Amino acid sequence: MKELKVIENSVPDPSFLETVQKFPGGEKITDCIQCGVCGGSCPARAWMDYSPMQVIHMIRHGLKDKVLSTSTIWICASCYACTTRCPRGIDIPILMSNLKRLAMEEKVPAKIRTKPVFHRAFMEVIQKYGRMYEPELFLKVADKRDLLGLFHNASLGFRLMRKGKVGFKPPRVSESSEFLAVLRSRNNNRRDNE
Amino acid sequence: MKYAYFPGCSVHHSTAKEYETSCLAVSKILGIELEEIPGWNCCGSIDAVYAYDPTASLALAGRNLLLAEKISSNIVTLCSACFFTLSRARRMLQNDVSLREQVQKMYNVPVSGEGVKVRHFLDILVNDVGYSEIAKHVKVPLRDLKVASYYGCLIVRPPGLGSFDDPEHPKSLEQMVVNLGAQSIDLPDKTRCCGASLFITHEEAMVEMTRRILGNAKAAGANCIVTVCPLCQFNLDAKQTDVEAHVGSKFGIPVLFSTQLMGLAFGLSPRELGLNKNFVPLHSMLLNAGEQVVEVVVAHK
Repeated sequence: MKELKVIENSVPDPSFLETVQKFPGGEKITDCIQCGVCGGSCPARAWMDYSPMQVIHMIRHGLKDKVLSTSTIWICASCYACTTRCPRGIDIPILMSNLKRLAMEEKVPAKIRTKPVFHRAFMEVIQKYGRMYEPELFLKVADKRDLLGLFHNASLGFRLMRKGKVGFKPPRVSESSEFLAVLRSRNNNRRDNE
Repeated sequence: MKYAYFPGCSVHHSTAKEYETSCLAVSKILGIELEEIPGWNCCGSIDAVYAYDPTASLALAGRNLLLAEKISSNIVTLCSACFFTLSRARRMLQNDVSLREQVQKMYNVPVSGEGVKVRHFLDILVNDVGYSEIAKHVKVPLRDLKVASYYGCLIVRPPGLGSFDDPEHPKSLEQMVVNLGAQSIDLPDKTRCCGASLFITHEEAMVEMTRRILGNAKAAGANCIVTVCPLCQFNLDAKQTDVEAHVGSKFGIPVLFSTQLMGLAFGLSPRELGLNKNFVPLHSMLLNAGEQVVEVVVAHK
């Protein structure tokens, strides 16, 4: 009974359920009947420490710290197999996205180290160019101490380059420069406050 | 009919260039008019931006929707992730006027949730053009080719968000394949996730998820897989050697975009369809596709 132990050893935060209910994906979590169809349908369940059903159960018990430190929230790939079958129509992927956001805002160490790095790096590339430039994203996400991983990604980069699938120059979208400037300044303010 | 064309980043200048090349080639034949949205930006890519900053993600998508409105009442994209992200943003901005105003004020950019319907290119092919019209343009029936159709996730899910086919048992790709004269093979995992962007952050999971799809296609006797999403195609094709290294056996299954297969049947040359950009060699598949295909390929060598 892994689940019960978690509840016994945690200090609940009663306001957490209310916080979650306010954002997209959280509106209907009190409707969850704990049937487990979400976890049963999830193609990535094997890499999650808790099923989405268990995460929802923990939210309802106010176990904020436990929820934000699960690998579940980071492993979800937003494939929507769960929501398609959920008898209560809960939008689980967007719930997971908002839990990712909360975990990043509250600087909870992520079980999947690269995930928060990925989201921040993605935003940085987009606010710079307006479009994705994969080589820069890869360099930002790569763990510089992991030489094997670096080599692995470099060889992929080389194969893509040979097919002409990686640009040597980042994309430029001149029409969106004003908008990008606002994106940048907003995000820089946020980072200065961190 | 004219459509506002939203290519998306991977299709326009990155890993899925051949998708755009082949899409434009078959569109020309079918009389589909695609006008690229000037100054389009990244859609926000599912939750890549949303999980970091939800309002930024709505500003990115909403700006594209508004730009599209000036061209057509339909914005069409080739990418399932763009299709989903733009559809979701449209619904959110349409349902919540105060949210829309907040986004506009925050980013000083006009955004829209109305006036434009988000469509996937496959939807245009099968519903606006239609199977019989597609069949009329077939010059080289792919008679001997066994094709497994793989949909991935976001082109059919979540139900009710722009979807045009059944979320569990879609049929449009298979019907397209049959109308191109090829044999359609039943793929049990045709809507099961390939692992998507987990290839960057948790490769072990992605490799296993993709292995399952490749393994099933192989077991079903498919000569190739046909797909509609740049990221699915990337994981199944460019990462196929990594999956093979992981399981210790060879798949060697070519993975084509729907528009590449269609172009072959329309008699276009491999180069016009960007077939030189796919990673898994197509040689044996093309030889299997019947004499007429071999003739086309040889003629353009």
